[in-house]
Amino acid sequence: MKQISSKLGGLRNLIFIGTLLVLILILLLDIYLVDDQILGPMEYFYLFFAILVILYGIYPLYVNRRLTKYYWERTKRHRLSVFGLIFIVFLVAVAFIGPFLTQDPTEVDFQEKSLPPVAFSIEQSVYDLKSDQFLTTETPGTWQHPLGTDDKGRDMLAMLVSGARVSLQVGLLAVLIAIFIGTIIGVLSAYLGGWADMALMRFTDIMMTFPFFLLLVFIIFIFGPRLIFIILAIGLTGWTGTARLVRSEALSLRTREFIMASKSLGASDGRIIFRHLIPNVLSSIIVIATLSIPGVILAEAALSFIGLGDPTVTSWGRVLHAGQRSLDTAWWVAVEPGIMLFLTVLAFNFLGDGIRDAFDPRSQL
Amino acid sequence: MKRGGLQGYIIKRLIYAALIAFGVVTITFILLRVGPTSPADKYLANISARTQDPSQVIAAVEARYGLDKPIYQQYFDYLVNMARGDWGWSFSTSLPVMKLIQRHWVYSFQLILLSMLFSASLGILIGIYSAVKQYTKTDYLATFFSFIGISIPNFWLGIMLILLFSVQLGWFKTYYDTGLPMFSLANLKALILPVITLGTGMMAGYTRYARSATLDNLRKEFVKTARAKGLPERVVIGKHVFRNAILPIITIIMFDLSGVVFGGAYLTEIIFGIPGLGRISFNAIFANDYPVVVTITLIGAMVVLLTNLATDIVYTWLDPRIRYD
Repeated sequence: MKQISSKLGGLRNLIFIGTLLVLILILLLDIYLVDDQILGPMEYFYLFFAILVILYGIYPLYVNRRLTKYYWERTKRHRLSVFGLIFIVFLVAVAFIGPFLTQDPTEVDFQEKSLPPVAFSIEQSVYDLKSDQFLTTETPGTWQHPLGTDDKGRDMLAMLVSGARVSLQVGLLAVLIAIFIGTIIGVLSAYLGGWADMALMRFTDIMMTFPFFLLLVFIIFIFGPRLIFIILAIGLTGWTGTARLVRSEALSLRTREFIMASKSLGASDGRIIFRHLIPNVLSSIIVIATLSIPGVILAEAALSFIGLGDPTVTSWGRVLHAGQRSLDTAWWVAVEPGIMLFLTVLAFNFLGDGIRDAFDPRSQL
Repeated sequence: MKRGGLQGYIIKRLIYAALIAFGVVTITFILLRVGPTSPADKYLANISARTQDPSQVIAAVEARYGLDKPIYQQYFDYLVNMARGDWGWSFSTSLPVMKLIQRHWVYSFQLILLSMLFSASLGILIGIYSAVKQYTKTDYLATFFSFIGISIPNFWLGIMLILLFSVQLGWFKTYYDTGLPMFSLANLKALILPVITLGTGMMAGYTRYARSATLDNLRKEFVKTARAKGLPERVVIGKHVFRNAILPIITIIMFDLSGVVFGGAYLTEIIFGIPGLGRISFNAIFANDYPVVVTITLIGAMVVLLTNLATDIVYTWLDPRIRYD
């Protein structure tokens, strides 16, 4: 047991591979034996990346408490990045707890369509059957629908809460997939060198030549608009920047003394990659991950906005799409999801900037 | 610099671009083939309503578009057709795709060109000014607004502009008027909101790049020398710093095309109803008109490829310090 674990570069990798095998086993069971699915496709991703983040993200930070404190102190000095973090924590809380407290975001009620938010009121002309003419009535917002309703009478608050969940799901999962692929390709390319490096980097160049959004639209057009496909499409196309960054950092690390020393002591390739290369590029990976979340959230919102989003999911982009239709009658339907989207992207940008400066030893804070 | 070295570099760069183009076309072919619906299904979705026997239609469509041939033959035909500009037939508009592109590209072009001019000129100016006045209120304000500009979703900004200036104030039409002559003031006015929509995010990005590029150069020795010579600050910034800072900014602007500009233009065209390539690709998606979607994706990639190539080659002339051996 001890021998196996040391060969794989520590107990941590053993746990990782073990849980991975369990997941694959469940997947095989799902495909071949059980009629009902044990886990949905999204849950596999969640479990996989939860394990990955805990083992290789949170655990090292927990062990190196002094370093964690140092980074936190430096991030904290960016006041805006703390605001960003607070907003993101709030958003995560809303996404987790919110759906239990709000109404069903898909519930249509034409009796209560186009109600304004609280403290606003609109003039509506209503056809009155008794007097056989149009009457203009002042409709105020009610606390029943604090943020109003859209043109089908769906509750805006519930839709925004559901949208927060979708945006975070897409943002985190797609970025994790992209970072995962980018890291593997970057490390392999730098470590193998020669023909493999050539081939991998030319492939990266080809992928980079596609305009990101056009490629995304093309893939969704071919595979159909399902949330899982959108996440996969963003993840499978958005890794190029990470791959280049990781490659260049790994290339410069490869010639450093501590890696040479470890090699001359007889360390295997796997040990050098997992023990020395990846931990040393981790800070750059975290920075690029945080900074690419906003772009991914925007990409999903844009897809939903033009009608290529998952029709079964209420996302901010889809609410915005409905809002554009009713701009002259119900402005809030277009305004509210946009503000949420804007604040979320701003928060991640602030946080990413703070983390980047904190991890950059040259920057003076 | 050796002449041969430069020529060799350009030739190498051209061959490399051709290889990338080949790879790009190959990837679209693979994506089309692994997709859950075959191209024949997509055609079928459009014509099945008019005919009786679907299997006959499938066979006819497959024969018409060469889908009954072996896969390597299809791949080869696809490559040849794409290279020859024979991009297929758009059945939702009943035109060859080439003709459709010829008719619509200019709308995208004018939108992107105007937005780039607007955002680059303003962004670079604000960025340099902000760097020169580093750590003043103006600088903080510029940084803050560039953060907002980067974070604001451009499609939402477009809708908000329509809501404010078209619906509430009535200054502009809510839709782009295609009947206007291309070179007229009315057309320029119709493009104001779309250009702001597309340009704001770009401008914010360029402000940041310009600020950091200028800051880098302000600390250099030659700036000290220029100041020590007693040159007025206007000349130091305008000549020495600006000329050195502008090169990396131009590179970034060129390489930015693929990310911000094309995606943004696609959405802007949809919001304002501008009949550019983004808009017709969007229409084609909902009409299942796949030759149009494929072609526009490829055109986007080719434009990126060519601008990168051009940037690299122009650089050999712009920056004589770079050596190519």
